[in-house]
Amino acid sequence: MDHILIVDDDPDICVLVSRFLEKNGFRASTAEDGNGLQAVLKRGVVDLIVLDLMLPDEDGLVLCRNLRATSNIPVIILSARGEDLDRIIGLEMGADDYLSKPFHPRELLARVRSVLRRTRQPVVAETVSATEKDLVYHFAGWRLDVPTRQLYSPQGEKVFLSGSEFAMLRTFLDFPNQILSREQLLEHVHNREHETYERTIDMQVSRLRRRLCEDSKTPTLIKTVRSAGYVLSVRVVKEGG
Amino acid sequence: MENHEPILVPVDRSLAEILPAYLVNRREDAARLAGLLERGEFETMRVLGHRMRGSGAGYGLDAISRLGERLEKAARSGSQADLAASVADLDAFLRRLVVVYTDDEII
Repeated sequence: MDHILIVDDDPDICVLVSRFLEKNGFRASTAEDGNGLQAVLKRGVVDLIVLDLMLPDEDGLVLCRNLRATSNIPVIILSARGEDLDRIIGLEMGADDYLSKPFHPRELLARVRSVLRRTRQPVVAETVSATEKDLVYHFAGWRLDVPTRQLYSPQGEKVFLSGSEFAMLRTFLDFPNQILSREQLLEHVHNREHETYERTIDMQVSRLRRRLCEDSKTPTLIKTVRSAGYVLSVRVVKEGG
Repeated sequence: MENHEPILVPVDRSLAEILPAYLVNRREDAARLAGLLERGEFETMRVLGHRMRGSGAGYGLDAISRLGERLEKAARSGSQADLAASVADLDAFLRRLVVVYTDDEII
């Protein structure tokens, strides 16, 4: 049973979301602030976090960024800050999805399921396709281990990737030296399962570049092709699989 | 003359367990808001409005979200008249509200 953590300082939201998720087959925990979030994470495995932005002890965006730097747990931001800019910043900080308040619990449920499905896609692929069991990509000194979804830098350090970052990197590695339009990246990374803006792809490419220690002004690995999209400009070696 | 006509709101039956407690909390808020208005504690009023805006529709009560939004805006602007009207409308809505649980899917 998937374990969802709801972080919100409004107890009425915590009750509403946790009850709704429990009725639909999830285990739910709640925390009212950043400290509570850390306490729940220490107690056990969390499969997804529903995160409010306006918390009493810490900005939810900072929490989101810190979570992304240290874990792969998918994050859905649930916030009353619903302007486009807020959404973009939330996604930029590493959230996998963003839902504005007021919201309908059914929509949140659909997004929880969608994000879990999306972030687990490679794992599902592994179970149906034995050919991916040992698949490893090598590029520019970097190594991406598909079964564990782990990225290693040329110095051998582990680099955390969110579900969507993993899916995007994998897409680039499957089509090296080919221009991929934003449309194509949307298809591969998000399956167009819900409203995703092409601007989101730009944000995710920008994040992925940072993971790969790229200078956004002069990227050497993932290059922008004006009016066309992006291209991973490097030799890729596939091992196993 | 005050309108006492009930406002019937259909709400998904799956919320029947938790909606009564939610409404108790909102009635407590409404009572508290009157005092906050008297004391000019606009920031606390804004926070209460903000929370109502965020949660109301989730509980099937879109009107609570709308009233919360009005309250939040009025508190931001610091308009005593708008705040008083928002508090009065919230109070009236809660007095007249009659929840009708339904099995129909409400989107």
